[in-house]
Formats: sequence, structure tokens, C-alpha cells
Amino acid sequence: MSSNESFQLEIWKGDWGLPSVEVDCLKILAYAKFSNLSLHVKTTNNPFKSPTGQLPVLRYQNEVYTSVDQIFDLFQQHKFTPDIDITRLQSAEIDAFKTMLDECVRPAIQYLWWVDVQNLNQVIRPWYCKVLSFPFNFYYPGKYEKQAKFMVEALHPTKEEKDAEVSIYSKAQKCITLLSTRLGESNYFFGSNPTTFDVLVFSHLAPILKVPLPNCSLQNHLKACSNLVKFTNGILQKYFEDDYQEYEKSKSEKEMKTKVQKDDFPNKRRNQILAGIFAGTAMLGYAWSMGIVQAPEDDHRQMEYMYADDAEEDDDE
Amino acid sequence: MQNSTLLEPWDAGLGAQEPWPQPIHLYQPYEVEQILLPDNANCLAVQAYLKMCNLDFTIEPRWNAEFMSPSGRVPFIKCGAFVVPDFDNIVSFLNSKGTNLSESLSSEDKVNLRAFLSLVNNVLYNSELYVTWYHMDTYKTITKERHGSVYPWPLNHMLNWQKRNQVTKRLNILGYKNKKLDDVFEDVKKCCESLSERLEDKPYFFGNKPNELDALVFGHIFSIITTPLTNNVLGSIVRSYPTLIRHCRDIENSIFSPHAIGINSIMNS
Repeated sequence: MSSNESFQLEIWKGDWGLPSVEVDCLKILAYAKFSNLSLHVKTTNNPFKSPTGQLPVLRYQNEVYTSVDQIFDLFQQHKFTPDIDITRLQSAEIDAFKTMLDECVRPAIQYLWWVDVQNLNQVIRPWYCKVLSFPFNFYYPGKYEKQAKFMVEALHPTKEEKDAEVSIYSKAQKCITLLSTRLGESNYFFGSNPTTFDVLVFSHLAPILKVPLPNCSLQNHLKACSNLVKFTNGILQKYFEDDYQEYEKSKSEKEMKTKVQKDDFPNKRRNQILAGIFAGTAMLGYAWSMGIVQAPEDDHRQMEYMYADDAEEDDDE
Repeated sequence: MQNSTLLEPWDAGLGAQEPWPQPIHLYQPYEVEQILLPDNANCLAVQAYLKMCNLDFTIEPRWNAEFMSPSGRVPFIKCGAFVVPDFDNIVSFLNSKGTNLSESLSSEDKVNLRAFLSLVNNVLYNSELYVTWYHMDTYKTITKERHGSVYPWPLNHMLNWQKRNQVTKRLNILGYKNKKLDDVFEDVKKCCESLSERLEDKPYFFGNKPNELDALVFGHIFSIITTPLTNNVLGSIVRSYPTLIRHCRDIENSIFSPHAIGINSIMNS
């Protein structure tokens, strides 16, 4: 297969146990995994060559595809789809839930990442600045931030920023609760195999669950829905095992390291004893030099005097 | 699990114990000369929902309803001390007052109902916005004139321009920037297909009683097929789904007085 013939996907790199941190990239990756399609994945971390300034970008036979719908259509044309046993009613449901996720969860993720100041400054901007290559790291984070702020303004034109935040988060929380009810106790949304429905839900929930942000109201809400947590982790473990294992490994290594670092004074007990001995000696020495402690020498001197007296007496004789 | 600070005032069950502060006033723009397709769809949906709930209400047409509404969108209802905008909020407000048409559904159906509501609220509403404000022909010949009709001379141009900017901003954010008119029609087609798949030949979308989804779909479908536009592609797309048309006609006959809005004559023509 020449490089022209295979599907070449350019994505943001993964972190925190995710194969990619971005929702749309995750969608493509999960869709391909669920339909046993092997992609030629390049973690370029550089949207400069993308026609829309966004990743993911799929290149196939000199054509460039940027929207998720286009890419899914292309995969379907090549008979790669996870929806084999899906009824038409179920595919209608997939459409409906897709708009619900886009309406409720996507703005919340954007807000959480790019508008919330604490998250942006402590995690998101440093991360993007690190993965982007040199001149671009000055441009793209600012651009994405602007886009997210613009989104809040456009979707809530009459609201103050605080009210908009409340309504965005509450919508997302309600949506997550609904999904949790819909999933119930089953492994996947339709039957025992993952479908596009699972692709969509997984790709929206995984970043919320895995990216460690200082302001994590949504993450806490998601963690309270244990079946969704199980669902997301299950997919990560089963289909993206490498990323998951690697992160778990590096996390435990890091933990070990920090543990060692916490043990800053390796011979603590010995040092304590030595210091005690030193302090004791110093104090005793001081006491001795000042003449506070002198008992044994007194006896000795008295003895000497006694001998001296004896000697004098002897001389007198 | 729910954080109470994240609730809208009409969700929190404020004053749920109070008796019904009748009557309900429904504020909307003038239907004949001012209202536009997307607003008309939502106004009709709210009217249908209130009728399904057997609640009395009076329609109060106001030329400045848009500016009276707390969310900047029409319609909104005034009910005692509450002013509640938008279809979704009105439905949850009425639910908090104890009028719930989807109560008897299974929990799975309730979730699916929410998803389909969001499908209609997004795909159909945004497509209507696109056709009304983004599509240049329609904007110039219909939207400009109707939306500006209630304002005096320099103001009508300014407000048209302002509103168009606002809608354009919203549509750009939602990914309509790169969409052509045909792509939007394709979206509508897909949405109608999903809806008719859900409806099949049942009388209502969920359960054996009409609920908010029926009201919302009725509002949009009815407005799309009855509103004259520069081209009637949108109407003909919807009309190619007989189940949806049948549903729309049934709702109209059962809750509005027969032939009140004249759907039959339009569909026969």
C-alpha cells in the first residue's frame, strides 16, 4: 500500500491516558478502532497545514477531509462502519443524541478548557504551548481562546458571562445525567458491540473524565455517574490499551518518584542521633568550662590537697 | 448529584406550592406582518403545548416582544410573577407546576425524548435561521421587509443589520460557516428522516398521548409548510415525508379548531 492509498490522519497528541486530547480526533480514532480500520496516524500537533486551522485532518488519495461527518461518510463508503446491526430507528436515535451532545456537552468542554481562567492558565495553555512547535505556540492557544469566548458570546448574546457559565454547565450536567440513565447497566448503548453512538459519547466524556483540571465541577458530576465512568474506562482499556497502560505506568513511576522526593532526608534517624549527641556534648562542654559541672574533679583535687597536706606535715616533721 | 446553584429559577421549583397564577399571557410578534419563520415555529410550538396541557392563555402580540423577552428570543410567557422565555424553559416551568405530559413514559423513552427535542431545536431551528437570515435572496426580499416593518426609517435598517449580525455569529459558531444552502437542505432531510423513522405510523412520537416533542415538531413542520419563501425547497422536503404531514394534520385537527390555520387548503393546493 503506497502512502497515497492509506488513510492518513493528523491529530493532536494524547495525554493523561487518552489517545488524543481533542473531541473530534477522539471520534475518528474510536470510529476506526470500532470498525477495525487501520489508520496511518500522525500526531502532528500542528494545525497550520489544515485548511480549516483545526485538527483532525484526514488525507486520502490526494483529497483532504476536515469535518467529522465527511470522514465518517468516507469510511462508510469503504465499508468500514461499526453500525452493522443497527436498525433505522436506532440510527435516528444516534442522530438525535449527536445533536444533543453537540448542543450541551461541546460548549461546556470549550468553556471548561478555554474560558475558565484557572484551567486555561494552569493546564490548557501550558499544554498546548508545549506540544505546538516554535512560532505556532504563540498563535494557536490565543486563537482558540478567542474562539471559545466568541462562542459563549454568540450562543448567549443577552446573558452576563456568569449566567452564561451557569447555563452552559447545567445543560452539560443534565445531558450527562440523561446519558447515564440511557446507558443503564449495559456495556454499550446498543447491544454488546460498540456503535457510532458509543463513539460519540466516549469522545465527549473521555476528555472531561481524564484531563486533570483545577476547576473540575463537570468531572465531579461525571464521576458520580459510575456507569459512564466504567463505560469510558472500559473503552480506553479495551481499544486504546497502549495509551492507557503507558499513562498508568508513567503515573505510578511519577508517584514513586515523588515518594522518593518526599524522603528528602534519607538518614533521618542517624542524623537525629548524631545531632543529639553533638548538642549534648556541646552543652556539657560549656557547663564544664563554666565550672557548673565539676563534681568528680573536686574529689580528685581534695585528694590531692590531702596528699599535699600530708606532704607538708611530712616536711614539718 | 445536582448542584442546586446551577439551576435556572424556573427549574428550582420556586413557588411550586402556589396555586396556578392564571391566566397565562403569551407574548409574541405580530403574526401577519412581522413574525419570521423560526420565531413562528417556536410560537406555534408553545401554543400547541399549552393547548395540549389544557391551559387557558391569551396571545399578546407585541411589536417589541423580542426586546421584552429575558433571553432575547420569542415567545415568552408571563404567568403570575414569572416571565419564562423559550420552549424548553416553558416546558420545564409547567412541569414544575405539576403539568407534565411525558410523566408516564419509561425512563429510557424520556431520555430519547430529550434527544429528539434537541434534534428539532438545533437542526430545524438553525436551518430556518439560515434560510431566513443567511440566504441572501430570502433576506433581501422577505426578512428585511418583515423584520423591519415595525420600526421607523433609519432604525429599521440598523436593527435588521444588528439582528443579522447576531444570527450570523451564532450560525458561524455552530459550523454553518462553510455550509451551502444545499448542505442545509441535506441536514433538514436527514432530520425529517430521523423523525419519521421515530414516528412510523404511530399517532404520536412517544407513548399514546401527545407531549412536548409532538408540540415542537408540529410547530416547526407546520410553519415550514405554510410560510411562503423565495423558493419552496424547504417546504417540499418536509412534504416528502407523509408521516410527518399526517402527524401535523392530526395535531392541528385535535387541538386547534378545525381549519383554523388553513393547513388543509395549503396542502391540497
